[in-house]
Amino acid sequence: MAFEPILTRNVGHPEARTVDGYKKRGGYAGLAKALKMEPGEVIEEVKTSGLRGRGGAGFPAGLKWSFVPQDTGKEKYLVCNADESEPGTFKDRLLMEHDPQQLIEGNAICCYAVGASTCYIYIRGEYTEALHIMEEAIKDAYDAGILGDNVMGSGFKLDMYMHAGAGAYICGEETGMLESLEGKRGQPRVKPPFPAVVGAFGSPTVINNVETLANVPHIMERGGEWFAGIGTDERNTGPKLYAVSGHVEHPGTYEFPIGVPFSELLDACGGIWRGRELKAYIPGGASAAILPGDEFYDLPMDFDQIANAGSMLGSAAVMVMDETTCMVRSVARLAKFFNHESCGQCTPCREGTNWMELLLTRIEKGQGRPQDASLLANICTHVSGNSLCALGDAAVGPVKSLVETYFHEIEQHVADGGCPYPEIRVFSNGQAA
Amino acid sequence: MPTVTINDRTIEVERGTNLVEAAKKAGVQIPHYCYHPRLSIVGQCRMCLVQLDGGDKLAAACSVNVEKDGMQVRTDVPEVKEAQRGMMEFFLINHPLDCPICDQAGECGLQDYAFKHGQAYSRFQYEDKRVYPGRERIPLGPNVLLNMNRCIQCTRCVRFTREVSGTGELGFFNRGARTEIGVFPGKPLDNPLSTNVVDICPVGALTSTRFRFAERVWYLDKRPSLCTGCDVGCNITLEHRRGKIRRYKPRHNEAVNDYWMCDYGRETFERYETLPRLAAPRRMGDLDDDNVPDLVPIGWTEALDELRERLQMAGKAAVAGSGNLTTEEAWLLAKVADAAGVEDLPLVTTQGPTRTIPNTHGGVSGSDAQPNRRGAELAGLGGGGMDASDLLEGDAAANLDLLVVADSDFSEAAHDPEVVERLRRADYLVVLGWADSPLARAADLALPVATHAETSGTFVNVQWRAQRFEAAFPPAGQIRPASEVLADLLDRFDEGWEGATLGDVFTRMAEEVPAFAGLDFDLPPTGSVLNVPEAAGAAPGGSAETGTGTEVTG
Repeated sequence: MAFEPILTRNVGHPEARTVDGYKKRGGYAGLAKALKMEPGEVIEEVKTSGLRGRGGAGFPAGLKWSFVPQDTGKEKYLVCNADESEPGTFKDRLLMEHDPQQLIEGNAICCYAVGASTCYIYIRGEYTEALHIMEEAIKDAYDAGILGDNVMGSGFKLDMYMHAGAGAYICGEETGMLESLEGKRGQPRVKPPFPAVVGAFGSPTVINNVETLANVPHIMERGGEWFAGIGTDERNTGPKLYAVSGHVEHPGTYEFPIGVPFSELLDACGGIWRGRELKAYIPGGASAAILPGDEFYDLPMDFDQIANAGSMLGSAAVMVMDETTCMVRSVARLAKFFNHESCGQCTPCREGTNWMELLLTRIEKGQGRPQDASLLANICTHVSGNSLCALGDAAVGPVKSLVETYFHEIEQHVADGGCPYPEIRVFSNGQAA
Repeated sequence: MPTVTINDRTIEVERGTNLVEAAKKAGVQIPHYCYHPRLSIVGQCRMCLVQLDGGDKLAAACSVNVEKDGMQVRTDVPEVKEAQRGMMEFFLINHPLDCPICDQAGECGLQDYAFKHGQAYSRFQYEDKRVYPGRERIPLGPNVLLNMNRCIQCTRCVRFTREVSGTGELGFFNRGARTEIGVFPGKPLDNPLSTNVVDICPVGALTSTRFRFAERVWYLDKRPSLCTGCDVGCNITLEHRRGKIRRYKPRHNEAVNDYWMCDYGRETFERYETLPRLAAPRRMGDLDDDNVPDLVPIGWTEALDELRERLQMAGKAAVAGSGNLTTEEAWLLAKVADAAGVEDLPLVTTQGPTRTIPNTHGGVSGSDAQPNRRGAELAGLGGGGMDASDLLEGDAAANLDLLVVADSDFSEAAHDPEVVERLRRADYLVVLGWADSPLARAADLALPVATHAETSGTFVNVQWRAQRFEAAFPPAGQIRPASEVLADLLDRFDEGWEGATLGDVFTRMAEEVPAFAGLDFDLPPTGSVLNVPEAAGAAPGGSAETGTGTEVTG
């Protein structure tokens, strides 16, 4: 493959976790360059790159930074979203565990651009290893003068803190994260106001995903034009990490230019395991609609083309399902996840996710009724778009695709009074029972 | 001011007006549960979804403010109706639907909106409802009981304790469909304003231990009134069934108590139930075998004639009023004293703990234990050389031929045998009042008058705001409103007063008392701040000395 890894270039080079090792491998050139520029120029460069948020929503990063009001007289904050909790997503973990300095550099550039002198990295509580590595790396960066009162001798002041979550998925939602960061119950806030204006501690706050910020040093070092040249078109630029899991021979995190066809990604993972056939895949994490494998085998995996296909790139957690997979059971499991993770404050999400799980579980057990599919579809319309934050919509994604695309499997469950797919237990050694 | 169009009705509203409020102004009701005008916006219940500018995604009206001109809002489109139906279904699938045994039934937000926006059948037929075993009747504190099964997680109560009472006892615990309301271990919901959470709870999750199971609410007759617990003068709704008061609820008056009242005020009516009632005019008769005087019921005419005679004959007399009298009663009493040539008009006042009710102007604090000390003083009581303490603590009554005490329940002192004995030292003791207190039983002449629930009048609160209250129900039997009784008595000195209405009394008083000059009998609903020097320093809504809206004392 001709593509030279960008974000993962230091994976397999443990020495890059220190400032020295990272610098030897070309690190901190981007920050050095940025510090010589005006903050506004840095934002322009990021805008030029076309970098879109890698956390799921795909919002242009440069635009987000430019929303931060500079004249409020308030402290400004950067909160790096490392609360990677979506089932099937493990790309940020790789970036933090293998290349912590890259993230610190990206954070520093962002802080410089928006005028923030405090950065919080809100990390998923279960990521103890990544937390440990990041803390070591931050300490090293302080010692090396990358962080502190005088960043790389420029006079710019920057403090960076790790903050571990307590295990709630909803704290990956940006305002839920801010509440948690402030020491409150982790639940999303009503918007507007948006965090760019009223964020952490009532101050303007930029919130970006780990992968988004990890791209920034490369944009600064090699230019927005270079970055924009990678990918499918001007709306889908740069490298992208795809976290592939499920029924493939080699699950893992793979870096490709954004927009790599699904088929190419599947090949890189060694294809479907055990010589089986592809049935379906989820292109962007648990909240994305399920795509049938045959119809979308060559789908370019970028924001817009997946959206056109009726799903979303999201966090690019690709979950592959082979022909033995029961879609009802899969979606019931996802529904259980969303029910468990609903924060409980808004009605459609609290009650809707609960009801969907109950219904799907009943259908999977063979106690479904003919009207259940249409009931599910109707619940989806009541939840979708009506919830306080995006979790309600996320929970609807897979359920809606089940009803729309795999309606026949629900019918079959109802007609047979049970699941037509034999339950396969997979033990930790990978052997099917 | 920007204009906003709600279902084809275009109105002008102040910039920044919340859409729920703007719609109210336009005569459109946007259903809501979590929104409350005095609590922070959380957008949680999703009941207030509306269509904005024809957009696809519905917006929560509570979290949208009118900022720019020409906003188009619709609540009558199928998308909104469908969303409302969906939300109602979500609220009800896990709700116990135990309306027959629920105290909230009849004033329940779920019932009301289910009729208006819901559907008559359930699609939640094959799953088990969520229940919170053991959480059906949890005392959160002395006044509030929680039934978690009925809760719709709107968090109004949680926000009230954080934002209004400032005490923060309540929290939102657990997550998702298991979310619940509760108190922290060892920290009960016990603050002076705690029962307000029952009022703002839109469903039957929080009920009042005082009112619980006392009455089905549709049997209650609800009348606007005033609380008599202190001189804050909280506006209340007095709710009774056939003259039996069941509860007081706060009635909105932004300038005084806003939407709130204190727990102490809510229990003040219980006095009307627990103390024996003076039922007919009576005079003290001869001693019986046990050396206890017979109390002989007499007619009103006889009683008032007797009183007039005594007043005229008395060499040295005093008329003692209290801050419980309405301003009109106090003024009539002073007129009677004047007509009879009585110069000493001591006023019994009582200090209580300071009670603070938060409002948007910094709150109102009162520390009088009586509602109308200021009104009584303005009406002319408190004059002459004699102090109330001379009577209650000293020996002043011993020198009197006649002592009239208006209000048999002027304070706890009226129940104190020692005080009663001191007042009894007057040759002839006349007591007006609703309660058959020890003082009334010691009187030579006792006149039964209405409680404040049974009469109308004006109170002047700590802000020098004159507020009118109306009789909620008529007094029973021979009991008469004191203003009528005193007008009849005054007629015996100064003809023309018989049958005077409250309006007549007020109008005459406004002519004679400068502080009331220019006031029309029909006071504005929020009351009128009087033209007195003391009122000048007070903030438009509150007393100047109170700092913040969250301060709670007493």
